Amino acid sequence: MHDMVQSREEVKTSFANDAIQIDGVDFCYGSSKALKDISFNVPAGEIVALIGPSGCGKSTLLRCFNRMNDLVPGARVTAGSIHIDGVEIHSPEVDPVELRRRVGMVFQKSNPFPRTIYENVAYGPRLTGTTDKSELDGIVEGALRDSALWNEVKDRLHESAFGLSGGQQQRLCIARTIAVRPEIVLMDEPCSALDPVATAKVEELILKLKEDYTIVIVTHNMQQATRISDRTAFFYLGELVEFGETSQIFTRPRRRETEDYVTGRFG
Amino acid sequence: MEPKTPHIIREFDDAFGKLGKTVSVMASQCLLNLERAITGLMKRDIDLCRAVIADDNDIDEAERNIDAFGLEILVRFHPVASDLRKVITSMKMAANLERISDHAVNISKRARKMLNKPEIPETQLVEPVYKLADRLLRDALVSFTDLDASLGASLRERDQEIDRAHKRVIATLSERIEEGGELTEAYLHLIFVVRSLERIGDLAVNIGEDAVFLDRAEDIRYTKSRSGQIAAEDDEDDS
Repeated sequence: MHDMVQSREEVKTSFANDAIQIDGVDFCYGSSKALKDISFNVPAGEIVALIGPSGCGKSTLLRCFNRMNDLVPGARVTAGSIHIDGVEIHSPEVDPVELRRRVGMVFQKSNPFPRTIYENVAYGPRLTGTTDKSELDGIVEGALRDSALWNEVKDRLHESAFGLSGGQQQRLCIARTIAVRPEIVLMDEPCSALDPVATAKVEELILKLKEDYTIVIVTHNMQQATRISDRTAFFYLGELVEFGETSQIFTRPRRRETEDYVTGRFG
Repeated sequence: MEPKTPHIIREFDDAFGKLGKTVSVMASQCLLNLERAITGLMKRDIDLCRAVIADDNDIDEAERNIDAFGLEILVRFHPVASDLRKVITSMKMAANLERISDHAVNISKRARKMLNKPEIPETQLVEPVYKLADRLLRDALVSFTDLDASLGASLRERDQEIDRAHKRVIATLSERIEEGGELTEAYLHLIFVVRSLERIGDLAVNIGEDAVFLDRAEDIRYTKSRSGQIAAEDDEDDS
């Protein structure tokens, strides 16, 4: 499988420009292997889309990047390494909570806290020690502006977040994620529950966020992958089949399996 | 050429089947029109000339249909990779075929005018150029339908043979015109006929280049000839 993806040598020599380096990763849920020998790099400041049929391991890999899988009993990386900023994320000196601040996550379904809009965004900064009211106000406004939500909510910051539409709730979750200034944002099908207009707004936001963050997104919507991502990784049965520039993957894929999947001939 | 796996949506394969069939029928009509135009000229058959002119409407209709089918596929299925290339190249192919048929019509119109005058032996000069153009066009169509990139890439070099034959005929006819006489108008008609055949060669090259793009996702237009390299790569793929 690895003839079409980056070699181990390429992985090792490109630390400087890469936000995440994945090298030979195996992952198991109990005795069941979900990922097999995954190696590729996520370049800093880019959007990388993970695509593949359900159960192929793309969300599992995404959740490896901020060790969300640590919360699943029996789930573990059994081989290989994942480096962020040159540090192996499973090494003892890495605090998973701090890792999750640096590597934020947006989920499939928007999940605002049952609090006000303001409190949702201020929650993370408060946890990380920001208590000054004016400083918090600035962080909340900045995050809401960066999430293209400020103009829609500035007059009702202290109303419940549940009063927002689905698309607004998802953008609020993105604001909550970036309020703690992560380096990397992981997105697990962030638009799957949104209508086309809300999806377009979130996609526009993702493209804008690229200026400041590295983004890894899992999506089943291949048009979305073509619209927003710089590179695409195609997974099948826990293996990385092909990784390359998105334009190449969707115009002249090198592997027959990739061609069959992106053209809708996967059965 | 590996057969394609059936699409998950059967309607997708149906739509592509309809597109491919319409392109094939249009290509056959085009070849027939060209053949009838030349036969009408050589055999002085006015009915064949009229038929070519009349049937050009069918070619125009086929081009419109192919564009409509292509557009429908783009809107409904958002094709990517080889499927997207198939839609794009089919629409480009239809445009090239329509222009080829226009040249067949031009030839028929010239022939119709020549039929009002006595037969001249110089008409036979057209046949070798037609044979070259016809062979090139048939190979272009084969390269497209069989996804044969090396055949498609070879056409540009072969087109130079048509260019040389075209120049030879033009030189001969120009000499005749300089000699003066009442056949000047007929010679001019033949010059335009040969000019149309030369242009058909160029359009066949375009189709061959589109076949390379369809097969290999490689755009060889306006580049130095890559036929040798593509043929070598094809041999490598086959081995």
